Amino acid sequence: MAAPCRRMAGRSLLQFLSSFSRTSVNNSGFRQISSTSVCRRSWQAQHVEESASSPWTLMAAVCLQRLPVISAESSPIEQQFRDMMSQMEQEKSMLSDHELRLLDDADRIRRMQTGEYDSDEEDDRRDQEIVLAQDLEDSWDQKLKNFQPAPRVTAADGDPRSLQRRLADSLLLLVEQPVGGQKVWLLPQTQWQQGETLRETAERALTSLPAAAGFKAMFLGNTPCGVYKYKLPKAARTESSVGTKVFFFKAVLADAGPPAAPDSPLMWVTKSELQHHLKPAYMMKVERFLLGL
Amino acid sequence: MSVCLSRSLCRVLSRHTASSSFMLGEHHHAVLSPWFASVMTLKTSAPLRAEPKKKKKVSPMTEQLQRDRLKKRVKRLEKVPPELIPIEDLITPVTCMDETRERSAPNLSFEESERRALLLKEWCRFKQEQHMAEMQAVELALKAQTEALEELKLESEELYHAALKPDTHLFPFTHEGPVHTPPMNTYEAPDGKYNDITKVYTQ
Repeated sequence: MAAPCRRMAGRSLLQFLSSFSRTSVNNSGFRQISSTSVCRRSWQAQHVEESASSPWTLMAAVCLQRLPVISAESSPIEQQFRDMMSQMEQEKSMLSDHELRLLDDADRIRRMQTGEYDSDEEDDRRDQEIVLAQDLEDSWDQKLKNFQPAPRVTAADGDPRSLQRRLADSLLLLVEQPVGGQKVWLLPQTQWQQGETLRETAERALTSLPAAAGFKAMFLGNTPCGVYKYKLPKAARTESSVGTKVFFFKAVLADAGPPAAPDSPLMWVTKSELQHHLKPAYMMKVERFLLGL
Repeated sequence: MSVCLSRSLCRVLSRHTASSSFMLGEHHHAVLSPWFASVMTLKTSAPLRAEPKKKKKVSPMTEQLQRDRLKKRVKRLEKVPPELIPIEDLITPVTCMDETRERSAPNLSFEESERRALLLKEWCRFKQEQHMAEMQAVELALKAQTEALEELKLESEELYHAALKPDTHLFPFTHEGPVHTPPMNTYEAPDGKYNDITKVYTQ
């Protein structure tokens, strides 16, 4: 009982460690402001002015996850341990009814062959003489062979837009949105408006995506799970807008709806693939709350 | 003893006479029925003459007494602690105690036992690393969240308070856990008919 439970919890290790080591190497030299000044040269200051006291623009983004559909693959040591445990448990166990029947049948056949068999002695085995336990086992094996389960590794693994890819990992939704004149891959975000809470802004960010029509998401709480703030390049800064703070909200995908068109600007990626698409400073903040997906 | 008997006899007899006198409306002192001839020579005390009062107490008294007796019986039954419901998981079934079911002990070679011991130690190390990694991941996520809340507080108080409010629609939260193979749309599962033979105990 211990081995399968631990296997479920152990899925995060490899992915987490691999992403952790990779990102720590990448982020050694990057400072926040230098990366943003490169990206956001022509910033249009058309955003809504919120309360006069704060010069930061507020935005909310949604971190939409599709949770894994199948159990994670076991690492070699997990497999070895599982085999060893099942072997040890079988050695310590008692014989089951089926095994006893197998032994008795084998014994009876042996006695029949040597000629000592007396059918009058065995008066409670009339029906079991016809069907041997071994035959039952063979029929069960045959039934199992006839059943073909769906493959764990599907053909859609390479297609970033398909929701059926990488069923053993949890996927994160990325969209390509124009930020500061440039198209950037990031978590779907939108600006905060007066009169709504940040969570409502995040919900609006999700529903306003044209490609994400029909997505049913369950938001996990009212609290943001992370924040990313960046200052505008010095040229575009005014007294009322110094930069932007993006608050992330976690959500779990409940229903995907119709599949997306092939040219839609959205992508489902695993944590290990995130670093290829996100900007390094952004990635550093986002991967903190993605618990070793 | 004989005095008691006579007294009770007197009471019984006087009950009958009392009823007749009550009906007739005569004073009981004046009534001297022929049955009393011998008994009246014995002492008759004042309560014996107070027939009508006693009669009123008699029938409510017996009903009261019967009710009290029943209540006492019910209380005695209730005082008995209820029979404990057996936990069937904790009772080893008799079939497991059978000696014919014992498996013969396997002979492990030295290499095999060594391999098992080393694998157990490796597993221990692996699980510890996994646990530490999980704890660190949770701490990191928590740090990210506190940072987000601090930034929000710097921005606006009301948004901060709105973020701190608990979400009432979140719980009860259900999610179908991962299975071994992905579900097949075209598969028709066979009818799973079963007879439920679990024993239900009532106290």
